[in-house]
Order: sequence, then C-alpha cells, then structure tokens
Amino acid sequence: MIVTVIAVIFLLSIVVGRFLLDEGRIATNLTIRNAPPSFDHLFGTDWLGRDMFTRTIMGLSLSMGVGLIGAIGSASIALILGMAAATMGKMVDRMISWLIDLFLSVPHLVTLILIAFTLGGGFKGIVIGIALTHWPSLARVIRAEVMQIRSAEFVQVSQKMGKSRWFIAVQHIFPHLIPQVLVGFLLLFPHAILHEAAVTFLGLGLSPHEPAIGIILSESMKYLSSGMWWLAFFPGLCLLIVVRTFDTIGENLRMLIDPTRAHD
Amino acid sequence: MSKKFFGLIAIAVFAFSIMLAGCSQSKSSQPNVENKKDELVLAVGGEPDTGFDPTTGWGRYGSPLFQSTLLKRDNELNIVNDLATSYNVSEDGKVWTVTLREDVKFSDGQPLTAADVKFTFETALKNGSVVDLNVLEKVEAKDEYTVTFTLKEAQSTFVNSFVATGIVPKHAYGEDYAENPVGSGPYQLVQWDKGQQLIVQANPEYYDQKPSFQKMTFLFLSEDAAFAAAQAGNVDVAAIPAAFSQQQVPGMRLEAVKTVDNRGIVFPYVKSGNVTEDGLPIGNDVTADPAIRHAINIAIDREALIDGVLEGYGSPAYTSVDGLPWWNPETVFKDADLDGAKKMLKDSGWKDTDGDGTLEKGSLKAEFTLYYPADDAIRQSLSIAVADMIKPLGINITIEGESWDTIEQKMYSNAVLMGWGSHDPHEMYNVYSSKFAGVEYYNTGFYENKKVDDYFEKALRAANETEAMAFWKKAQWDGTTGLSAKGDAPWAWLVNIDHLYLVKDGLDIGKQRIHPHGHGWPVTNNIEDWKWTE
Repeated sequence: MIVTVIAVIFLLSIVVGRFLLDEGRIATNLTIRNAPPSFDHLFGTDWLGRDMFTRTIMGLSLSMGVGLIGAIGSASIALILGMAAATMGKMVDRMISWLIDLFLSVPHLVTLILIAFTLGGGFKGIVIGIALTHWPSLARVIRAEVMQIRSAEFVQVSQKMGKSRWFIAVQHIFPHLIPQVLVGFLLLFPHAILHEAAVTFLGLGLSPHEPAIGIILSESMKYLSSGMWWLAFFPGLCLLIVVRTFDTIGENLRMLIDPTRAHD
Repeated sequence: MSKKFFGLIAIAVFAFSIMLAGCSQSKSSQPNVENKKDELVLAVGGEPDTGFDPTTGWGRYGSPLFQSTLLKRDNELNIVNDLATSYNVSEDGKVWTVTLREDVKFSDGQPLTAADVKFTFETALKNGSVVDLNVLEKVEAKDEYTVTFTLKEAQSTFVNSFVATGIVPKHAYGEDYAENPVGSGPYQLVQWDKGQQLIVQANPEYYDQKPSFQKMTFLFLSEDAAFAAAQAGNVDVAAIPAAFSQQQVPGMRLEAVKTVDNRGIVFPYVKSGNVTEDGLPIGNDVTADPAIRHAINIAIDREALIDGVLEGYGSPAYTSVDGLPWWNPETVFKDADLDGAKKMLKDSGWKDTDGDGTLEKGSLKAEFTLYYPADDAIRQSLSIAVADMIKPLGINITIEGESWDTIEQKMYSNAVLMGWGSHDPHEMYNVYSSKFAGVEYYNTGFYENKKVDDYFEKALRAANETEAMAFWKKAQWDGTTGLSAKGDAPWAWLVNIDHLYLVKDGLDIGKQRIHPHGHGWPVTNNIEDWKWTE
C-alpha cells in the first residue's frame, strides 16, 4: 500500500515538475557543454549545454502523455471489441477472435512502426500506433470475462425477462468489467511508454530535437565512446524506474481488486 | 512457467551475443597491423551508391582514382594539365580544342585516344551526368589525339567538366562498368564488397608520378566504428566527426582540413502567394523582409557555433565559396552584433507591441520555421543553437527535423539548413541565379537580382577562368549590391566544417587542398604525395 502511494506521488511529481521547470534550462548554453553531473546540473549537460535533468523530466512526462493517450485508446478498443465478441453472436465472435489472433501473431513493435510510419510519424502517428497495437491481449481477457458473466444466473434471468442486449451489456456486464479494464489499462501503460521510447529511439517518431526519452537515449549513444556516460545513464535509469513503478501500481491494484488474490 | 521460459530465452540471447561478439573480434584482429609499408587501410566513408562510373557523376567531388581527367586542380586549386597537354578556346568561346598526351594507356594496356574522350562525353551527356553538360552541343575527334568540343553558347565554367569527368575506355565500357571500372588513373579496382570494403592496387600503366602505395583498402564503416577501428590500430587513416576530436588516440594524430563544406540557412526571398508547378507554396512574408535576413546574419555568433557545435574545427562562413579563388573577401562582416541587429529591426518598423517577446510589424509576427534533415546531427545542433541565438532579437524560429522527402515539399516557403561547397564556380551560379529558382535543391528561396544575374552572364561568357573571376567576385558584392549578406542576404551562411582525419604517425598525407562538400574521397586527391616519413 505504502509502495503504491509513494509510486503515485513519484509519478505525479514528474508530471507537475514538468511545468515547474524553467524552459530556459533546455536552451543551448555553449559555455557549459558536456558538464558532468553536479549540483547545478543534477544529470549533467549535453553537447549543446542543455540541462539533462530538465530534458529527462520533459522527456518522461512527454512519454507518459503518449502512454496515457495510447493506453486509453487501446483499453477502449479492447473493451468494445471484447464485449462485442462475447455478446453479438457467433459470427462476430469468430471475426474478432481472428482479428485478435492476427494482431497477436505479429510482434507489437513491427505493427507499431508500420502504423507510425504510414501516418507520417510525429506525435499523432505514435499515439495512434500505440492505441492500435496494444489492445489484443486485453480484448481477449475481456471477452473471456464477458462470456463468464453472460452465463451467470442474473444475466440469464434478465434475458428471460425480455431485457434488450444493450441493457444487459451496459447494466449487468459492464460494471463487472471495470476492475479488469482498470488493471489492464495500468499494465498497458508501461508497455506503451517503452514502445514509445523504442520507436523514437529508432528515429521514426518525433522530430529529433524534441526531448523525448527515446530520442535522448539514441543521441547519447553517439557520445558513449567519448566517455559521456551521464547522457545515457540517468535518462535510461529514470525510464526504467517509471516503467517499473507503473508495473508495481498495476500489480498492487490487481491484488486489491482480484478477490482470489486479495489476501496475498 | 512463463518466467522460467523468459529466463531461458534471456540466457540463450546472452550466450549467443557473446558468441557473435567473439566472432567479430577474432575477425577484426586478423589483418596484420605490422609490416604494411606499401599498403594502406582507410576508413574515410564516402562509398558511392552508384559505383565508379564517371559518366554518371563518380569523382566529381575529388579524384576519380580509377580514371584520370583531361585537366585537374593542383593543391592551390589552379587548373593544370593531366591527360591534356594543352587546350584552347576559340574567340567566341564556343569551340574548345584539347590535345592529349600520347603515352597514356588504360590499366588493361590499351592506349587512350581521342575516341575514348569523345565516347566519354557523349555517354555522360546521354546518361545525364551530375556534372552539368547541357551546354555541350557535340564532341569530335579531330585526329588520334585532338578533340574539339562545340558548345551551344559560351561558358567559361565548362573547363570544370574537364576536371570532373574521368575518361572511360570505349572498348571496355559496358552495363557493369560502374562495378568493374577500367581507367587510366593511379589505381585499379581489385575487389568491391558493397557496404563493406573496396580494395585497389596501383595501376602499373599509370603515366604520371606513381603513388608510393601498392595497395589500398577502403573500409566503409560508420563514424563511431571508424573511430573504434582507429583506437584498435586497424586503420591508417580514419575520418571522424568533431565529437570525437577531443580524445587522443595513441599512435595517431589529428589532421583538420579546411573546407568549403559549408552549412547555412536559405531563406524564402519572396513574399508568399505563389505556388510552383507542382502546387507547392512559394515564399514567406517574414523572411521576405530584408531587415529580418540582415539582422539574423549579423546577430549570429559564428565563432560560438564553431566552438560549441564543431569543437573548434571549422571556420566562419560568409558565402558559399569562402577561401576559393573566386571568393570576394569583401563579403566578410562583423557578426555576433545583437545590438546592431536590434537597431536594424527597430529602424525598419519591427516592434514588440503585445509584449510576448516576439516582434510584430502590423499584423505580421516575426516567426518562421527552419527545417533540417533529421538524420544529420551537426545540422540539428546548428539549427537548435541558431534558433536560441536569435531568440533575444525577438525573432522566433521554430525548428523541425524532417526527412528530405518532407523538406522538398516545404523548402520553397520555409527556411532550410542546407549545405554546399564545390571546386566549380558554376555551383554559385546554380544556387543564386534566378534561372535556377525552384530547380532541384538550387535557389529554393527564389532569389532574384537582375544585377547579380548580369554578372553571372558575364562570368559565363568570359573567355577564360581568370577573366571570369572578376565577375564571380562582383556578383557577391560590387560595392552596392550582391548575393552575399552585405547585399541582399538571401542566405545566412554559418560555418565551413573542417574535415577531421586521424592519421597514423609517420604517414604524410601531403598538403591537403580545401575540401569540397563531403562526398567521395577528397582526402585521396593528392594520393601521389602520400608517403611514410619514418
């Protein structure tokens, strides 16, 4: 519990910090180039004298923004498809299952790159790409869940009483899905952030001067052999910590919600 | 279960990568480092995508290595004879007659004659060589060793096509010539593994001063791989980016070669409103204002850019031809002058009326977008640094990194960070002449100045290079107008980038001439001067 609270505070501080930090600190300052970490510049500066701490925080909050929109999009798609598959008859179910299998059979990253590239890259391309690629596993979970609820007695009764499909879906089934969707959404988040970083690392996403974490990492690769370890170390570590934090929150939430594991 | 599975995969991947690393290491240590006094290994990049066919453009940025040219430039960039023993131009400048050496043989032993020269230029014309030959009407072989070129109109820069076009053998030219070049140059090709290496050996038939190295291997490595190879002692010469220049490599020294490999910002010169034939917008209202262009030009601190972005290895650029024989030194001006720039903007009516830090003039806001190719780190750094430098003036430059495909759509209506630099004055004509407005990457800003065009015409019609020189200089700045920043300032030139090479101690690479834009191998241009000093 405490872990979760700390984790949430940590993530919030990154988002808020982004607005507190001075934009001027990522302006070029050619007099303090390549400075190693110090109290003035916690994470050091890069080859143009930009403060790496500020860039990292900005990059992380950008990544979290992309992750958030992408994960919401993915979770919505998963919810809609999962419910449709389970409630709209055999034919629809078969089609959606086939679609899920199709998307699962190709690695995320490949489809993501393909979609981001077709949409011409940029913020829009990545967000849409993430939303369109991360839904299949969650959709499958939701479909199974809906199947189970549908055969429950209260749903059967409701059906016998002549309630419409829509009424049953919204009033009976959806409330039971909220925990699954929430946990699924939170566990999608770190995935989405990592994949955003991967795509921008490969140079398929944002313009290379934007402070996105993947871009910062790929830039720093060029300077590794000249001994500027802080360029890659701190942003990389921060990315790991953020991803791990989301994972922890998701797991803890699952424990809280899932009755079979409530006492773990 | 799944965790175990992942663990297994992780171990397998790890083990596999160690194996791979092991392989590549043992491979790279194979070449014998010692005892290769007449062999060189170079990692200087610049692999040509299209092979080694001079009729499509190979060698235009430096010696073609496998072929030789009619004329060449010496280390002072003067034009001297190579295959030719003399050339002269008719009174009206339209007929050029070239006499050839009689002792030249191709590497396969066949003599080089006027027929080969005729064949080369006709093929280049047909292939649409990158070397511009449009002015050429016909080539004739008068006798075995005399060739005449007839031009559609007089053009003094035509002499550069003699410098840039290697002669190919008529008898050995075929479909796959680009991969199996036969020529009369100092070296002949032994083996070319595309994307990996090129091995060449000395041409025994070479007619001029023979180079002192029997064999050269060009490795095509990325910049950091080249640096790593230099550190490992596997190469004799390595081209490196400025970022690595601060590090000492034992047994090697750093040579910085001056260049006209320049970078600058090209501004849309006209007001917006028009579109090109393909429907792309032309012009930008902000950069069409001369005050904006001049203010940016004098506000930029070029020395700071060189120290900051190029680690000190560069020189300030004022035109596209700095340091070349046809450069006008009067185009140099005092920069890093923020106050002067502010005053200039104020005098022409730019004011910050709404207090947001950006200037306005009527309804126009002093802001525009600067595009740079996303994969070029130096252009990116320059763009960021310039945008930050200009901000205190109240001019807001938004930067955007894109692929060339995207930039091509935007370049007529937005500023672009471009680069040029050639040993041919014709390039200046292409970049600034109104005739080339909107043609390929030339004159994307639609710059036009009647007087400059006039000087260009006169320079092209001049009887020879020396006479043309005066007009090239006047086109830059004649005291009242010109294409440089003192005149119309259609560009803000920033820096000339030094080419950096790590050279093994004891290897003398001679006096390097001013290098052009970085394609090909300008560094081996003077290969016959290279030698071991120990």
